[in-house]
Amino acid sequence: MDTRSVIRSFIGETFFVEDFADADSFLQKGVIDSTGMLELVAFIEERFSIKLDDAELVPQNLDSLDNICHFLETKQKKT
Amino acid sequence: MCGIAGVTFARGLPRADAHARYEPMVRRMTASLHHRGPDALRGILLDGAALGHARLSIVDIAAGHQPMTDPDTGITVVFNGEIFNHVELREKLRDTYPFRTRSDTEVILASFLARGIDCVEDFNGQFAFAIYDPRDGSLWLARDRYGKRPLYYFERGDSFFFASEAKAIFAAGATAAELDPRALLTTFYLWTPGPEASAFAGVRALPAGHVARLARGKALEARCYWWPDLADERVDRGMTEARALEELGALLDDAIRLRLRADVPVAAYLSGGIDSSLICALAQKQLGGSLQTFSVTFAHERYDERAFQKQVADALSTEHHAVHVADEDIGELLPRVVEHAENVLLRTAPAPFFRLSALVHDHRTKVVLTGEGADEVFLGYDLFKETQVRAFWARHPRSTCRPRLFQRLYRYLPLSAQSPEMLRQFYGIGIENPGALEFSHLIRWTNSGRITRFLSSAFREKVAGFDPVGEFLRGVPDAVRRFRPLARAQYLEIRTLLSGYLLSSQGDRMLMSNSVEGRFPFLDHRLLDLSARLPDKLKLKVLDEKYVLKRFADRLVPRLVTEREKFPYRAPVAEALVGARAPQWSGEVLARGAVDEVGVFDGAKVEKLVARLSSQSTAPSEADNMALAAIATTQLLARAFRGDHASPARAEQVEILRS
Repeated sequence: MDTRSVIRSFIGETFFVEDFADADSFLQKGVIDSTGMLELVAFIEERFSIKLDDAELVPQNLDSLDNICHFLETKQKKT
Repeated sequence: MCGIAGVTFARGLPRADAHARYEPMVRRMTASLHHRGPDALRGILLDGAALGHARLSIVDIAAGHQPMTDPDTGITVVFNGEIFNHVELREKLRDTYPFRTRSDTEVILASFLARGIDCVEDFNGQFAFAIYDPRDGSLWLARDRYGKRPLYYFERGDSFFFASEAKAIFAAGATAAELDPRALLTTFYLWTPGPEASAFAGVRALPAGHVARLARGKALEARCYWWPDLADERVDRGMTEARALEELGALLDDAIRLRLRADVPVAAYLSGGIDSSLICALAQKQLGGSLQTFSVTFAHERYDERAFQKQVADALSTEHHAVHVADEDIGELLPRVVEHAENVLLRTAPAPFFRLSALVHDHRTKVVLTGEGADEVFLGYDLFKETQVRAFWARHPRSTCRPRLFQRLYRYLPLSAQSPEMLRQFYGIGIENPGALEFSHLIRWTNSGRITRFLSSAFREKVAGFDPVGEFLRGVPDAVRRFRPLARAQYLEIRTLLSGYLLSSQGDRMLMSNSVEGRFPFLDHRLLDLSARLPDKLKLKVLDEKYVLKRFADRLVPRLVTEREKFPYRAPVAEALVGARAPQWSGEVLARGAVDEVGVFDGAKVEKLVARLSSQSTAPSEADNMALAAIATTQLLARAFRGDHASPARAEQVEILRS
């Protein structure tokens, strides 16, 4: 499974939402609430064996499927 | 307090026919409301209407029977509730009306004769009543300002049914109890099916603050006589803190004085928070030391307030009683809670209230004062602070330091969610339009609306294109749109959560399930008038909630209570409904097949949610808890009224008066 599908299926399993677009803001569309964001971060760290700094916990990196994929790509290139 | 019911039909029907058809009907309707008034069950057959009444006798126990008829005109009333200022009204009316009893019911008759249905404007009380006027065959309905007492109706052909609870309409055989998809969807967002709706198809509610007339051959015509008017023009700019304290003290004292009027003892609920503590302190003073107080305790520290309850009870020397509610009690009680609430619940918090009113009943007490309403009238909830911060932020939407105020407001949020950028994403919903009517409630409604993640696709299709929030907002008076943000928030909070949930599902229905009447001093409408005159800063001082109320309470309530952090009242959900201590029914109704059969939620998704909550070691999230409560109570409600709700033996006990 590619990154996009892995995260999409995690969100489906954990937050019971399937019908959202790749660019939808999780927080503004009610896909995930603010506590759910914490679960999402924990999942990403574990699944992709990375550690997110506090400075990286921003919407540009996390608040949509597109944003996460882009962020992970950049981060994995760096390491 | 009581239960009322009735049905209208064609006038001039031969008496024998009317008796054959409508006497059994009014018997069953009245009997189904037995819990609301076990002291007497009575009905009356008139030309064109049958009325029923289940009585909980509190004022003029010997003579205040209902249905009550004015002998001169034949006008007949059935009445649920209290007109607290009946003594003063009687003084004014006694030159024109020959009173035969001391009851407030007769004051309604006399007032109606004097000035028609507008008489409700003179009433300080909590009421739902129906008046049948045989002179023109009209049926008049009325409901108090905040909707403390319920009133539902159903129209079919030339029959019109009304009752305190929907179950009486089902008992009449008027309609089957079928869940209304739009009402359910509305509840998943707003916590209430809406001011005019019930959870059931075809069963409507007379909205709070409304009167209505059913004239012969016409449809019901309802009219609003009161709504929470918090317009900017009403604010008294010269109001000082000292004068606010003085006026608040005088009004609250009088509100309690009126609510201690009864021919039976009046007790009080004591949560351990500031509102109920203040009510108890003032009531104890007026009663001269005889006040009884009643509380709930929980095993989880997260929910329990016993230390504060004891502190207040000791300080005020009340005769204190408490009942302990365990997780498994909540699971066990919930099916009966739903039968009484007749609504989908987003929390289990009504269940402890069901147990608490049983404790009051066991102590042979029929009336309690409660602190309900203080948070809405004097700005106590976090939602108001959130609105304040969002309005402040909206003036400079690009500011990065303004959203940091949310870190002060919600200290318990996990760190990752607290970076200013994250806060902006989450709390910035609708920030670009602070003038929108719904500005204050967008975040709450977005959060609650996440319940809809679990809906089945068939149900989604049924409600496709229906926008519950938009529908509700369309019914809000235009003037409210011109209020400042906090006043708009106050209006929306009063009309949704207070009237549609706290006073009903968690209030009247839980109290009356054990024949106990609640009285709410903070919801004396004169206090709302005072609140309208107070500048916001006396209610919410920056982020200090209920400011003027707390300053007033400082003089009367232990400091420990006035200085404690606001503690939201909650009860366990997942701990009570799934896992090791779950009751048998929850396994049944939450099973995949059972969920799919009811058809509102998706059985497979619910199965996953239950599996996760059963195995999870960490505390369940607010969102999961809310979804589980909504799903479980929807499942319970769907099967709640399948049988007959009036026992034939009890229907036989209803005494039918001959007109």
